[in-house]
Amino acid sequence: MIEKNIIELSGVEKRYGSFAAASGINLDLKEGEFFSLLGPSGCGKTTVLRMIAGFQDPTQGTVTIDGRNMEGVPANNRPTNMVFQSYAIFPHLNVGNNVAYGLRGRAPKAEIENRVAEALEMVELGGLQLRGANELSGGQRQRVALARALIMRPKVLLLDEPLSALDKKLREQMQFEMRNLQQSLGITFVMVTHDQYEAMTMSDRIGVMFNGRLAQVDTPASLYARPCDEEVASFIGEMNILPASVAGESDNALSVNVAAFGNMQIDRNPNVTNPGKGIIIGIRPEQLEIKSEKPEDYPATVQGKVINVAFYGENIHYHVTVDGHDKPIAVSVPNYFHTVDFNRGDTVWLGLQAASAIDLGRGK
Amino acid sequence: MILRSDAAKGYSLSAPATIYVGFLVAAPLAILIAYSFWTQTYVTLDKSLTLKNYREALTDPLVQHLMLRSIWIAGAVTIVTVALAYPIAYFIAMKAHKKTIWLLLITIPFWSSYLLRVFAWKLILGFNGVMNSALLGLGLINEPLSFLLYNEFAVVLTLAHAWAPFAILPIYVSLQKIDPSLLEAATDLGNNAFQRFMRVTLPLTIPGIIAACLIIFIPTVGDYVTPALVGGSDGKMIANLIQVQFGAANNWPLGATLSLMAMLSVGFVAIVFVITGNRLGRRIR
Repeated sequence: MIEKNIIELSGVEKRYGSFAAASGINLDLKEGEFFSLLGPSGCGKTTVLRMIAGFQDPTQGTVTIDGRNMEGVPANNRPTNMVFQSYAIFPHLNVGNNVAYGLRGRAPKAEIENRVAEALEMVELGGLQLRGANELSGGQRQRVALARALIMRPKVLLLDEPLSALDKKLREQMQFEMRNLQQSLGITFVMVTHDQYEAMTMSDRIGVMFNGRLAQVDTPASLYARPCDEEVASFIGEMNILPASVAGESDNALSVNVAAFGNMQIDRNPNVTNPGKGIIIGIRPEQLEIKSEKPEDYPATVQGKVINVAFYGENIHYHVTVDGHDKPIAVSVPNYFHTVDFNRGDTVWLGLQAASAIDLGRGK
Repeated sequence: MILRSDAAKGYSLSAPATIYVGFLVAAPLAILIAYSFWTQTYVTLDKSLTLKNYREALTDPLVQHLMLRSIWIAGAVTIVTVALAYPIAYFIAMKAHKKTIWLLLITIPFWSSYLLRVFAWKLILGFNGVMNSALLGLGLINEPLSFLLYNEFAVVLTLAHAWAPFAILPIYVSLQKIDPSLLEAATDLGNNAFQRFMRVTLPLTIPGIIAACLIIFIPTVGDYVTPALVGGSDGKMIANLIQVQFGAANNWPLGATLSLMAMLSVGFVAIVFVITGNRLGRRIR
């Protein structure tokens, strides 16, 4: 299958005086994919989205949408539509007129009515045309904003923190609904979010941004398994960070001496851009074994003491102090049998498999 | 004292204002209504109830003429003022960086007395005034223009200047309240700047426009200083006639009747205006 790039950003930069809100952004988005820009607030992800929408002009670089250079093309002439963080529902119009807004004067009245009904049906607000804008709940406002943008049949739908105003239950429900909608329509969605779970559950690919730069662009699974550095590793999920020294290396393997755990042979992480002799190793809490006896079949083990137990329901987190590392190591165990096996003060053994130790390159 | 309910609390909190308004608005209004049904011959007040004043006021062509002229002048002042105020308010709310300074500048006319400002216009527009001297000096005219002062034009101009801040402020507030993302959404949905203004900005500022219109229209209908000073005989308004009844003509009952009729007319026009304004606003989609 030939995948076409619907959006291409090359060398895009946005400066405010000496401050670079975004710089060196090179990004190709494929037609029909669900892409998320993920990062902490102030990292420049919204700036990138607004440059695609045309609300801000890049100081440098080019934005190409569907093969067309967007330089000088104002937001109202771009084949993109946006769902705003505040939803921006027109307060003086009812639901039907809000959804019809972009079509007025461009299509015959009967067609507008049909398309409005269809769009509202699609977001499960069928028949609510006459409802006033101020009589909507947060979730309904979000759906209206979606319908209002989708009715324009954009090539790309831009979503600026679309779920941040909703409560947790509704947010999770909307994640699935939006994902399904995107799959059935086949439109490219570009979403900005600071919520890693939201980005992971909904996206085909994620671009992680820090300080105006794209740190890594990858699928959720490889971002989780092979983050390019410590910053990305700690932002996506939880990660134990341990220093290590490299004793020997080959093309795709490293022989390392990890703090507390000792010597082991691990895979080289292809996403790392700054390798070196002194590197850091990341270990996901759920990939560590925790036992009261020294575990068999683990190449690296260490004994420690439980200093904290946190019960999350679906899993249990233990914080374990070990010799050779100052920070306690987090271990997460699924709650299989409704039992909490260890208590604060217990002596335990931790076991580490080579595949679970992630090479994160040199630290910052 | 223990207040038993929220309602009691509310009444006691609003009591000072209620008493104040009662003495200064309700009571005088009641006296005015009473007077309008009485008659007066020289200094004796006849307190037997009669509709004579109303009959006189309704049949006198001068009253009708002045009433209509008052409404038309006030209407013109309102339209001119709001039309000029909107762009200023828009500039301050949407484009200006130092809003406080601009708002301060707008209030500058209020730093001098209303009367002085009317006199200033008299000096500007007069036969030997600033305007005519300047135009003569520039050789643009051969003799002083006489249509500048002592007519409806002078009244409209003077009042529009005097009331400008009252129009700018409510419109400014309603523009200020518009969420910028609504304007971006309109752009995003394909509107250019003009369409966006007509479909989002304007309908959302209708409450401000209506407030500005009422704030200007209602007091200007009853203004008598400006028409007395710059209106000449062509610019006289209903308030000048009312003033005469309470003063030189010494006919308080007729004055009271004219006042009440002026109030009713203004109220009627204002209500019709508010309803049509809101209706029109709702039709924009």
